[in-house]
This record gives sequence, structure tokens and C-alpha cells, in this order.
Amino acid sequence: MSRTDLIPPDRSPSAHCHARRVRLPDGVGATWLAGLFERAVRTWWGDTPDRLPRLWDERVPAACDSAVAGRRVEAELHRPLDAEGALLRAVLLQYADGPADLVLVAHRANLDALSLRTVADVLTGRARYEGFTDKTASHIVAAADAETLKRWREADFSGRIAWASGDDAAGDRTGLVTVAIREAGPDVPATMAAAVGLVLGRYENQENPVVGVLGPVPERPEGALGAFDAGLLLALDLSGARTAGELVAETAQALASDGGRCDGRQYAELLAETGGRVVAGLLTDGPAESGSGTHVPCQTAPFPLTIVPGRTPDGGLQLVVRHRLEDVDADSARRFARHVVRAYEQLANAPAGLVPADVELMDEAETRQVVALGRPLRRLDWRPERIDDVFASRVAERPDAVALTCEGRSLTYAELDARADRFAAALLDRGVRAGERVGVCLGRTPDLVVAMLAVLKADAVYVPMDPAYPADRLAFTAQDAALRIVIADQDFPGGGSASVVRPEELETHGGEAGRARPERREPGEAAYVIYTSGSTGRPKGVVVPHRNVVALLSATRDDFGLGPGDTWTLFHSSAFDFSVWEIWGALLTGARLVVVPYWVSRSPEEFRELLARERVTVLNQTPSAFAQLMEADRRQDERLAVRLVIFGGEPLDARPLRAWFDRYPEDRCRLVNMYGITETTVHVTAQNVTRREAMTGSRSVGHALPGWHLYVLDERGRPVPCGVPGEIHVGGDGVALEYLDRPELTAQRFLPDPFTMGRVYRSGDRGRLLPDGRLEHLGRLDTQVKLRGFRVELDEIRNVLLDDPSVTAAAVVLNGDRDAAGARIDAYVVPAGGDPAAIRQRAAKVLPEHMLPATITPLDTLPLTANGKLDVRGLPEPVVAPAAPIRAPSGELAGALAAVWESVLGVPVGPDDNFFELGGNSLYAMRVAAAMRDRGLPAFPMRELYLHPTVSGLAYVLDEVTSHE
Amino acid sequence: MTMRLSGKTAVITGAARGLGRASARMFAREGADLVLLDVARGLPGVPYALGSASQLEYTAELCREFGVSVMTRQADVRETHDVEAAVSMAIGRFGRIDVLVNNAGIAAPSGKVAHEIDEHEWQLMIDVDLSGAWRAIRAVGKLMVEQRSGSIVNIASTAGLVGYRHFAGYVAAKHGLIGLTKAVALDYAPRKVRVNALCPGSVRDDPQVEGRMLAEIARSLDVPVGEHEEAFVQAQPMNTLIEPDDVASAAVWLASDESRQVTGSVLTVDGGFTAR
Ligand SMILES: NC(=O)c1ccc[n+]([C@@H]2O[C@H](COP(=O)([O-])OP(=O)(O)OC[C@H]3O[C@@H](n4cnc5c(N)ncnc54)[C@H](O)[C@@H]3O)[C@@H](O)[C@H]2O)c1
Repeated sequence: MSRTDLIPPDRSPSAHCHARRVRLPDGVGATWLAGLFERAVRTWWGDTPDRLPRLWDERVPAACDSAVAGRRVEAELHRPLDAEGALLRAVLLQYADGPADLVLVAHRANLDALSLRTVADVLTGRARYEGFTDKTASHIVAAADAETLKRWREADFSGRIAWASGDDAAGDRTGLVTVAIREAGPDVPATMAAAVGLVLGRYENQENPVVGVLGPVPERPEGALGAFDAGLLLALDLSGARTAGELVAETAQALASDGGRCDGRQYAELLAETGGRVVAGLLTDGPAESGSGTHVPCQTAPFPLTIVPGRTPDGGLQLVVRHRLEDVDADSARRFARHVVRAYEQLANAPAGLVPADVELMDEAETRQVVALGRPLRRLDWRPERIDDVFASRVAERPDAVALTCEGRSLTYAELDARADRFAAALLDRGVRAGERVGVCLGRTPDLVVAMLAVLKADAVYVPMDPAYPADRLAFTAQDAALRIVIADQDFPGGGSASVVRPEELETHGGEAGRARPERREPGEAAYVIYTSGSTGRPKGVVVPHRNVVALLSATRDDFGLGPGDTWTLFHSSAFDFSVWEIWGALLTGARLVVVPYWVSRSPEEFRELLARERVTVLNQTPSAFAQLMEADRRQDERLAVRLVIFGGEPLDARPLRAWFDRYPEDRCRLVNMYGITETTVHVTAQNVTRREAMTGSRSVGHALPGWHLYVLDERGRPVPCGVPGEIHVGGDGVALEYLDRPELTAQRFLPDPFTMGRVYRSGDRGRLLPDGRLEHLGRLDTQVKLRGFRVELDEIRNVLLDDPSVTAAAVVLNGDRDAAGARIDAYVVPAGGDPAAIRQRAAKVLPEHMLPATITPLDTLPLTANGKLDVRGLPEPVVAPAAPIRAPSGELAGALAAVWESVLGVPVGPDDNFFELGGNSLYAMRVAAAMRDRGLPAFPMRELYLHPTVSGLAYVLDEVTSHE
Repeated sequence: MTMRLSGKTAVITGAARGLGRASARMFAREGADLVLLDVARGLPGVPYALGSASQLEYTAELCREFGVSVMTRQADVRETHDVEAAVSMAIGRFGRIDVLVNNAGIAAPSGKVAHEIDEHEWQLMIDVDLSGAWRAIRAVGKLMVEQRSGSIVNIASTAGLVGYRHFAGYVAAKHGLIGLTKAVALDYAPRKVRVNALCPGSVRDDPQVEGRMLAEIARSLDVPVGEHEEAFVQAQPMNTLIEPDDVASAAVWLASDESRQVTGSVLTVDGGFTAR
């Protein structure tokens, strides 16, 4: 007898032990059985006396149908047997009321399922032992050829199972779910294996999913006792190159051939090479039998999802999935089993042209259920209106309330209204037509808000532009939006055909104020156009109508308790739509809006001071910016008046918020994480963030807002099952009108809603719906990269880095050619102390080799864009490049300044290098200030650095200051 | 109610009576399958009757009432062969061993000052109470390490922590057993096999488990049982003797996954005796 090398090889013996229980027929006594057993095993295995099985005869002091007896049988069926020990364990359980059960346990490496059944038949008098002999299987199992190995190697292996929740403490424990199969097909194992691969491919978004198969080789000799199970991997081609019929036929062929087997060693090598794993596998012991007794095909599941086709007691087909609780919870396993059965039924009766992608995983009822899952908890109760009309109501209600504050100056609602009316009248005088786009390129001043309101009052459409943006970008926007008029402070660098109007010119306009157009466009018409730059291609203008903004406020006002008692900040660039929420969120609910000067927004300390001074209650922040603010706040004793913080703009890692909750308990300040997209009007979902989320590191972004709804769809636009990742689509009252003048792109991204009236926006974000309808945001679809054949989610790596308590922030980028060997993952971390080597070591414990970043570069802070999001382009080179020759700064002060900058920034500094382009940021700025103080250099206000961000510029100003002292 | 040891197989030495029986019974109630061992005959040099085969069978019967599978085997912990045969039987039957309770022990020959103990008396005491535990550990250790799980409970005594007059051999053996516990705990910790010592104080001779330790100790010291008992009630701050089930519960906890981070520890069940 020689052992067979099984897959998967690394499991405890219980994964390869199988067991069978039979009730002894009437008249078969224990003594008779013992005699027969002795004779039979001596005949079969007399030549290996040290491995000879023995019969354990035991009494159970309880009736055969008692709970005690049931527990005992279960225990016996699940006692493992070592592969090297006795060939078989036989236990006779004699119950107090007469009947007896025989329980047989064997290791697959010694005896296969048919052998075990034969032994049972012999011992219960159904067959004679003389008809069977011990055989060895090794000679009939051929190893995989080079061709097959190559196919396996190139297939998609899986990583962590993201669509289920595992229990880390479950150990070997295995769950079991059963689903009936209504329509049987001709070749059950092959069809089932194809169905499993298909479902797995859909769940994991794989084109070449791998399915393990463990079962008897086709050439199993008649009447043999022994080990005839061998392993096999199926790499299924779901690309569409094969029809469903071909897929099943190929699978059948692989299963029926005597070659192409995968042994334990090959299996282990493959996994080591690909860094992945095989999450689903079939045990094909076969549905060949039904009838009495119990068969346990595996004591614990060898594969995380172990699929066993079998028969129900009445002879029907059924699917049993044994799942390792460590990886897959019961609900997810049940869903998986249901989808496999549905796929199986379609494959079994596939019409000729059916391709794998045609197969539907969910029936109508389940589809309806997941569609309903993405709906908000409440309906939106509102009336579509124009933004300026809602504003007018607020003016009428409380004309003397303060609407805007900026650096000590304030405007009441009435004053703001009047000033905007004057601006509007001036615009009308300049011939602005209804629906015409007007550029607003102003810094963060009250006039920015006045100008936007004025454009709306003139029934035109505002196009916000951040004057800090590069001239090229502004010129592009002006041209793309076909702007005739741009309201700008300084010289508008955009040039071109647009004429620039300064706020002063609009202000001093002599025309009569309050002259609005008699007839204005409907609330469903455009109010503003914001340009977004996707990761690829040129920026595109998103056209958003009035009604969307009003819907957004209606959806959130009551829940957030927004009202005249609130003070908001205008913190974000007007070119980032978070500012739409800040401006209109405040002004349409009667609150006060504090305009935050740019340099204050760049300095967490100064911003914190402003929040305290102005007693701001509603704060909107990107998580990156909030992290810095939190840091600044921690150094102060006094608490802020903030009662609501809204996170937006980028994924939130809730874990660092624990420190915030210690200072600001949840009942004092509510934190809400909102997932949003410019194309769906700022926000889509809302998730309250409490200590619980911080503790669990929850990635949920919550339910859809009332009026908004979500679908998670596959590439064909079909809903994916609950828990399975897909692309987030957003429908409802927030969907923008279009991309300005980009009909093809609009048609690609704004699609007809497949389940209701209206349109949905296809976000390009990956997400999944949790069973309670909350959305989990899993990053951009395009951050999922394929690296050396392996699908890698950069956000997943980032999360692992963030799990390290010594890392406060992290960024992960893919460098080099994406699909070539040159591709490399680089990580940047902000360590709380400690050395990066230790961070790397800890990450290596969790991440497979291919996911481990090639470099981990420590930074003091991550660079942020003007919008407060991670600035990928602002990340330094992971490997320090040799310094290029540069012109030395001239002058004593300039030299000293350059030295300070160099020490802080860690790069060589020339006289005309821009501080911020060298990687400088607010934190570095503070360091520079501190270092200058230490060296006795003149102190300077933060503002100066923003106005003069070069060594020569700043040196000049400082010279001026000191020489006048 | 879920059982705290279901799915586990436990080997208990010295299970014929006393604390071994009490532990076996409680382990069975918590769902453990059992391999019960005992020398099951008298030992030359031990001045009192040890457990019998009949007592061992009776313990097994009590356990089977709970529906678990129970095997018994005569095994002297002084004999490597006995211990190894018993363990390989256990593996053949159950496929795994999750718990070892080293309970077999003798309290006498005792009652002498150190220089009066003879070579044979000394060797016997050490051989049963200390080396016996090591032999059983040697027999199951490899398997547990391969399983990457297991709990070994060494029944020591307060005599492993403090001295008692006229009990030098016993005290030395039990102190040694605690040392063994700590050293092996470190050996096995990386493989998730745990080793702990349990130190009972003075346990009442419960007729249900046919205990007689207290009586034997009183006899060794040549004092009436009642007087000896009274002295211990006084000495244990909770003013009562320990019940066998008090020790058994502690053993269940150490055997179960509830104590999964506990290793190398010494748990006293002594009514506060060693707290003074
Ligand atoms: N009872 C107490 O007050 C008390 C206090 C502290 C510690 N202990 C310890 O608890 C354990 C059990 O004690 P008990 O009170 O139940 O005693 P006990 O004498 O009632 O039971 C001990 C059992 O161990 C068996 N045994 C003795 N030598 C053996 C050997 N060489 N091989 C196999 N089996 C052997 C005996 O046959 C007996 O069945 C002992 O280790 C003892 O030192 C007891």
C-alpha cells in the first residue's frame, strides 16, 4: 500500500478523513461482527500488521434516538485518523435499547470513499470480503504535463475572501449548508465544477478562476480497496472565448482523463509562486448512492469552500457546501451555494450559444432584494426649487441675521442679498443670457459667494475656478465652458476670449438693484458647472441643476439638525464640490458662513484658532485635513464648539478618530462620513461614525441619502449579490445633467436606471452592499491593478499599513509599467515614531510577497492637493535621486533660509524653488518657522510664506521687515 | 448549554478514585472523551492501598452516563512502556489528545525527618510524583506539538509551594513538578501547547470518590484524622476543606479553551492557605 499525495496538502488530517455510519441490520450481533471483522481485515491487510485496524466495541447508556446517541455518533464520525497509522477505525456503538451503529473512519490517503462503503457492506453482511483486495493506485495517476502546469500558473488565484466575513478564532471549525437541485444534468461533477468556477469568477472578478477537485481517478479498478483519490486543478476560461457548453465539456474532459493531476507538492509550489490560494474545491465522491447511513466526505473542509454534490434521502440531487468558518460565514456560504446551484441548473441545460457571462446568479426575487437593499431608509419629502429662491426665503425670514463673515467683516442676509442683486444687475447689463455660463475665479473672500449668488440671480450658470490653479488649467476651463465673462480679482490668466470683470466693477454698477429676470429657468436646469479631473483624460465639466442642491439639503437638514443657530466654514476650494455643500448648506438653512482665507486653511493651528474664535458648529473636512486639525486641537485645552463634522472627498480611516472621541464624546459632536461624487451632487451616503466604527476600522459609508439610491453592478450592468464587490452606481435626485459638451462620455457614464425611472451615474468606484443595506467603499476600480498576474488592491495594502499602530497615515502607489516586470508598489507612511524597517517587517507578516511594497518611505506628512486630498503627484521619489546642480542662493539671509529649508525638506534648495513644489506643506512651514527662530533668524507670519514661497522672495520680504525695524 | 470540553479527548492518570475520579466525571459532563489510567494495584513501599481495577471501571461507568466515549487501561506512571502503550491506544481510538491530566500521585511513604528517609522511599516518591508526570508528557508531547494545541494539567499541591514537616520527599517532588510545569510550558508555548500546575489544598475525603489522602496523611503523621482535619480547617483561611469538585472545576478550566492564554501558571485551590 502506498500513500497518495493529496491536495490541499497543508491541512490537518481531519480535512482528508472521511467517515461512514451504518445501522447494523437485525440479527447481526456484536460477536458475529467482531469475528467477521477479524477475518476480513486479516485477509485484506494481513501483510501490514502494524497498521491493522481494530474494532472498538462500546456501549452507549442511552436509546438510539436520544440526543446523547446523536451527539456520540457525530463525535465518532469526526474523530480524525492519522495518515500513517491504522488504515481504518471501526467503532461499534451499542445502544441501551438494542440497535447498534457501526462507524468507520479512514484517511483518503489510505482508503477512498468507495473502499469505505465496501468495508461497511462487508461488515453488515451485504457483500463478501473475498471479492475485494487491497490495491495501490500510484501507477495509474499521471502527473500534470508542462502545458497544464503553465495554464494553472497563469490562472487567477484568490486572496483574502472579501465577500464573506470569517471568524479568526474558528480554527478548523466547519459549517455546512445544503441546497436542493431541481434540474439535474448529464455530468454532475463536471457541470458542478464549471458552475463553482463561474460563481467564483463573478464573486472575485476573475477571468480564469481556479477550482480544486479531489476525487477518485476514472480508472479505479473494480473490487479494489485502497486510495484512488487524486487532486486536480481546473483553470476555467470565463473570458467569453468559450461557450458554456464548451466550458463544461472541457471540464468533463479534464476530470475524465488519467493525466493532468496535481499532487500536494505541485500544489504547494503553485501557491507559493502565485502568492494566492484556492478558495473553492469539489469533492467528487459522487452522488452515486443514496440510502441508509451517513457519509461524511470530510471531517473538516479541505478547501475554504468545499463543494460536495450529493443525494437527498429521497434520491434527489443536492449540493452540500462545507465551509471553513475561519474564512466564510454561514450566510455567505448559503448565498454562494444558492448561486452555484442556479449556475449549475443553467449550465446543465445550456442552449448552444450561451456564454458564461450570460449565466444569471440571482433569480428575480433575490435581484429585487438587492435592488431594494440600495434604497435609502426614508423617502425624500421635498419640493424642487431654485437655489436663489430658497435663499430668498431665508432672507425674508431673518434679514438681519449674519450670513457671511470673513476676517472680522460680516454681511447680513439682507446685505448679501442686496450686494448679489447689484452684481446680478451688472451682469445682466453686460448681456448675460439665461443659462449662459459665467466664470467665477475668486479667492476665498465674501465676494466669491456674492458672485455665485449673483450669477444664479441673473439666471446664469456659475463655473467656479480656483485662482490658485495653474494658468493652463484655468485657460482650458474658460475655453471648454465657452466663457464670455469671468468674474476675477486679479488678472485672469486664462486669457482667450473671456473678458474679465472685477467684483469692484460689478459693485459700482449704477443700474438698479433687485432687477431680476421676470421669467427664469426651472429648478431642473443647470446652476453650476464644476470641472473634475479624472485619473485619465482631460478635465470635464459636470453640469448640476438647482434642484439637486435643494434635494441635498432636504435630504440632510432634519437629520443633521441644520438651522440658523449654526456656523459653517467655507474651507474648500470653490473648484471642489465640497464647497457647494459648505456654501449652500449654510446659506439655504439660514446659518452663518465663515469664509476661511487660503493661508488659514493651510495651517491647522490657524484654522483651529478660527474655529474657536468664530464658534463654528458645522465643520466639513477631508479625512487628511482633519487628521492635521485633530493634531493641532490636541495641543489646546479649550474645546471647540463644533457639533457636527462631515467627512468627504476621500475614504475615511476611522481608526485614528478614537483620540477625537476622547475629547469630543459622540453626544457633544457628531461625526458623519459621507461618500460622494461631483456627478451626483456632493454626497451620496451618510454613515455615523462613533467609537464603534473607530474600533472596528469600519469601511462602511452608510445608507443612501433619502432621494439617492445605489446599485452595485457587474460589468454587464447586472446587480451583484449582497456582499460581493462590484461597481457603485448612483441614482436618484442627485444625478447631474451631463458632462458639458461631452455627449459620448455622458452616454458612457450616465446610464438609464435599469430598475426605475431616471438615470444612474456609473462611478468607477468599487463597493459592496452589506446585508443591512449599508455601502462599503472599496476604492477606485482603477486602483485595482494586476501585478505579475495577480490582482492587487492598493487600498488593501494601505489598510494593512494603517493597521500598524505606529503608522498614522499611509499612501500606496503603483510605479513603473503596470503590466511589465518593472511594475513596483511603493508605499509612503507617516510614522508616529520607530523605524520604517519595523513597519515593513510587520506588514510582511500580513501581506503576501507580491503585495509587499518595494519601498516604504517615511514622510512627516502626506502631501495634500488644494482640495485636501492625497496628492499622489506630490509624493517624493521613493529612492532619493542624486541632487542636480543648482544655483546657490545669494545673500546672507537667503543662504541661511535655504539651509533651513534644506534641513526641513531634505532636498537641495535653489533660490527660486517653490517651497510647496519641493514637498513643503503647512507642517513643514511650521518647522521652518521654528528652525528660523532657533537660529535667530527673523520671525515671519505664515501668510508671507504663502505669498512668497521662494527663498529669494521670502528673503527679500524679510529683509524689508528687518531693515525697517 | 454548550459543553466546555466537547470534541476534546483527555487522558487522566490516577483516575480510579479521588481527585482523578472527580475530574474525570466533570470532564465527561463537559463533553470530553476520556482515556482513564491507573496503576490499579498496590505498590511495594506505599503503605496504603492504591486504586483498584474495579474502582477504575466504576469511574468509567460514571463518565459513560454522559454519553462520551471512555477507555480505561491499567498503567503505572513509573513504567515508560505502560504510559506509551496507553497513549498510542488513545491515539488509535480518538485520533487526537487534547488534554493530559497528570494526577497520579502518592502521599506516602512519609512522616519522617529528611535523614531518616531511605534510598528506596526517596526514589519511589520522586518516581511517581515527579518522573511519572514527565513520562506522560513525553508520551503525548510530540502529538500535541504536531496538533499545535493541547493542555497539560499537572496536579501538584500546596506542598509544591511551601514546606510541610516530615514530608520532604513529597514536598520535593511537588516543588519539582511545578518546576517541570514552568520549563515545559516554555518549551511548548510556541506551538500553542499549554502546561499549568494546579495546587489543591487539603481536600475532604469524599466517600463518593473514595478519597483517602487526608486519612493517609494523618496516619503518616500519627495524628487522629479528626484532629488533622480540624487543623487544616483552621489553617485554610476560608475555614473549610476543599471539595474534590472544586479541584475538578479548576482542571476543567485549565483544560478548556477558556484559559487559552494561560500557561506556565500555578493555580492554587487552597481556600487561601498559601496567601498567608
Ligand atoms: N487529596 C488531597 O488532599 C490532595 C492535596 C493536594 C494534592 N493532591 C494530589 O492530587 C493527586 C490525587 O490525589 P488523591 O487525593 O485523589 O489521591 P488518591 O490516592 O485517592 O488517588 C490517587 C490515584 O493515583 C493512583 N496512582 C498512584 N500511583 C500511581 C502510579 N504509579 N501509576 C498510576 N497511578 C497511580 C492511585 O491508584 C489512585 O487511584 C495526587 O497527585 C496528590 O498528590 C491531593
